[in-house]
Amino acid sequence: MADVITVPQVRPVQPALRFLRVIPGVLLLAAVGYAGKLLEQNVGTYAKAHHWTFPNIEYVLWAIVLGLLISNTVGVPEMFRTGVATYEFWLKAGIVLLGARFLLGDILKLGGVSLVLVAIEIAGSLAFMTFLGRLFKLKPKLTTLLAVGSAVCGVSAIIATKGAIEADDEDSSFSIAAILALGALALFTFPLIGHVLHLSDRAYGLWAGLGVDNTAEATAAGALYSDAAGKLAVLVKSTRNAMIGFVVLGYAIYWASQGQAQKVGNKAAFLWQKFPKFVLGFLVISVLATYHFFNKDQVGALANLSRWAFLLTFAGVGLRTNFSDMRRQGLRPFAVGAIGEVVIAGFTLVLVYGAGRIFGW
Amino acid sequence: MSAEVATGKMGSRWKLSLDTWAVLVAFLLALLVRTGVFKHIPW
Repeated sequence: MADVITVPQVRPVQPALRFLRVIPGVLLLAAVGYAGKLLEQNVGTYAKAHHWTFPNIEYVLWAIVLGLLISNTVGVPEMFRTGVATYEFWLKAGIVLLGARFLLGDILKLGGVSLVLVAIEIAGSLAFMTFLGRLFKLKPKLTTLLAVGSAVCGVSAIIATKGAIEADDEDSSFSIAAILALGALALFTFPLIGHVLHLSDRAYGLWAGLGVDNTAEATAAGALYSDAAGKLAVLVKSTRNAMIGFVVLGYAIYWASQGQAQKVGNKAAFLWQKFPKFVLGFLVISVLATYHFFNKDQVGALANLSRWAFLLTFAGVGLRTNFSDMRRQGLRPFAVGAIGEVVIAGFTLVLVYGAGRIFGW
Repeated sequence: MSAEVATGKMGSRWKLSLDTWAVLVAFLLALLVRTGVFKHIPW
């Protein structure tokens, strides 16, 4: 009898079945993303033909807005949800392929600058969020999750930290909801502020990469400003992502010393396990492009493949954002996240201005 | 029972993360472009 019960627990779902379950949602991502692309092409032309004054809205914004409309009106039916959740997969594949558009020298130069800014941003954000969490009397582990989510890389960092410090499911869903809601707001506020302040593509890209928490939203916020800003935002955000292992390891050691989490055994294995592998993939493709493994046409083809992957990602960002779900998560963690994000956005903007002065951008 | 647990362990050992899958798929696409299987990707 015991055997009969245990068999389904260890038998994995058939890979073919899992693959089939993903198809409807991926098709929905493609349909929403492509509709966004068609709207970008046609709305501007239509407005021009009718002598209307209408701003040129990029497919990025159309795809996100269409996704938001579906998610917050009719909702995303259950059969599409598994496929919609693949947007993170497309994001990471898109970032790896984007490596073809970066020469290694640029990565080392910009990566070096951004590494210094990222280190300052992470230290400042962790300290400030911890202070805010204590001020608002949030649970210590919830404060840790919010701090890591704001300082490093949103949802992935929260999930990685949750496992390492043995935080409650409820705390992690609070933190994820707050980070996602604030990321959705950043999509609209960052480009607006960037235009008001007349930030250059480089300054804005750096700021979006440093100030927006989740990788998908940082990529979208950058792309909403310009292609060049989008590229830089991805590079800076990937540098932040690369720090995830060190931050999570630090917190895991801290909580283990408090007797509230398991001790970390092999620290190198822990770091490798938490390290985002897509950052390595991005570097490999960039090295290959730098040493002319791909010709000019092939680099163009890889860049376009990356754009298609991002198209699916941006549709997913809209489709998975449900404002009523977020409201249900509670106000206090959201308030802490919101205050923290506003301060971090201001702080990173000052950092970018300072770097601009030093490096003469 | 132990065999099933062992099977479970074997499965998890070979299970790749989403990150790794994304990298492998991107590399495969890059290889297909490099070898000329995908000659032109429109945008």
